[in-house]
Amino acid sequence: MRKLILIIVFALVSNTFFAQTAFDKFDDNDKITAIKVNKKMFELMGKVEAKDKEAKEYIGLVKKLDNLRVFVTSDDKLSGEMKLTADKYLKANGMEELMRINEKGKSVKIYVKSGAKDTQVKELLMFIEGSGKEETVLMSLTGNFDLDELSALTDKMNLPGGDELSKAGKGKK
Amino acid sequence: MKAIVYFVVGLLLVSCSQEPTLQKFFVESAEKKDFIALDVSSSILNLDKAQLSAEQRQALESFDKMNIVAFKATPKNQAQYEVEKSKVKDILKGEEYQELMSFGSGSTGASVSYIGTDDNIKEFIFYANKKENGFAVVRVTGDNMNPNNVMTMLSVLQKSNIDLDQLKPLQGLMK
Repeated sequence: MRKLILIIVFALVSNTFFAQTAFDKFDDNDKITAIKVNKKMFELMGKVEAKDKEAKEYIGLVKKLDNLRVFVTSDDKLSGEMKLTADKYLKANGMEELMRINEKGKSVKIYVKSGAKDTQVKELLMFIEGSGKEETVLMSLTGNFDLDELSALTDKMNLPGGDELSKAGKGKK
Repeated sequence: MKAIVYFVVGLLLVSCSQEPTLQKFFVESAEKKDFIALDVSSSILNLDKAQLSAEQRQALESFDKMNIVAFKATPKNQAQYEVEKSKVKDILKGEEYQELMSFGSGSTGASVSYIGTDDNIKEFIFYANKKENGFAVVRVTGDNMNPNNVMTMLSVLQKSNIDLDQLKPLQGLMK
């Protein structure tokens, strides 16, 4: 019985549950726009019957996603806080930098935590640091997906930083 | 062992009677003056059922009705606004409710939650709030609602001729 409890606790601590609490403080803040798509949503979406090939691919990917969280702010102080929290999180979770792009005054960094295979990703974190009036974006996506599939998703969901992510998908092969 | 059983049963009984439910909230709010409440049935869609495919008809049938309750915020009722808003938020945090997605920034935002299982969704709840205007909770109930039916319903909505008059009471809220 005790062993079972220990296993459950360990599982809870070491997986996405941790991801959710690290960024919780950014919820409910007037200066931060927070978008959250929970695992249940992806599960339900995954249950829709696909009518054509594109839909099949999309639904196939959706089934592999767990949680998505996006935080956007134009506030300097909060941007700083988001960066600090992101850095701490990356270290604590052993995530590696996949790529970085500097474009039009925005610095985009993408980090991943690989799964079993090199192209399998368990977690992706993207941090876009805008300078001046540009927005800072922190995005966390967990699941068990392939980088290539990711661009299909970002296209559909119109996420900030979608272009950068499609480049990431094509880059790591 | 018996003690544990009694304890658990006791807990369940207590939680059942004390926990506020959305249903109760809807009923109570309908009586309060700052609220607008209305019930909408599928007749609002003005659909010619003969024009629907079997799949669409099945989807339509899985939906029962839609209850809407909205709190109209004014400079005078801000305190009340916060109180009622917290009530809804607390209810939605309850165990039965599973949040699907949310979007927002503190005082403005929206969320979608549901009760039920993947293949048999009992209720969908849409909640939206905007500091200056107030908040609204839309509760869609049905039987055997499932993701496929939801998608099909979207195509049904395209065919519909929504009877906007039925929604007139909400106009005051949306200015």
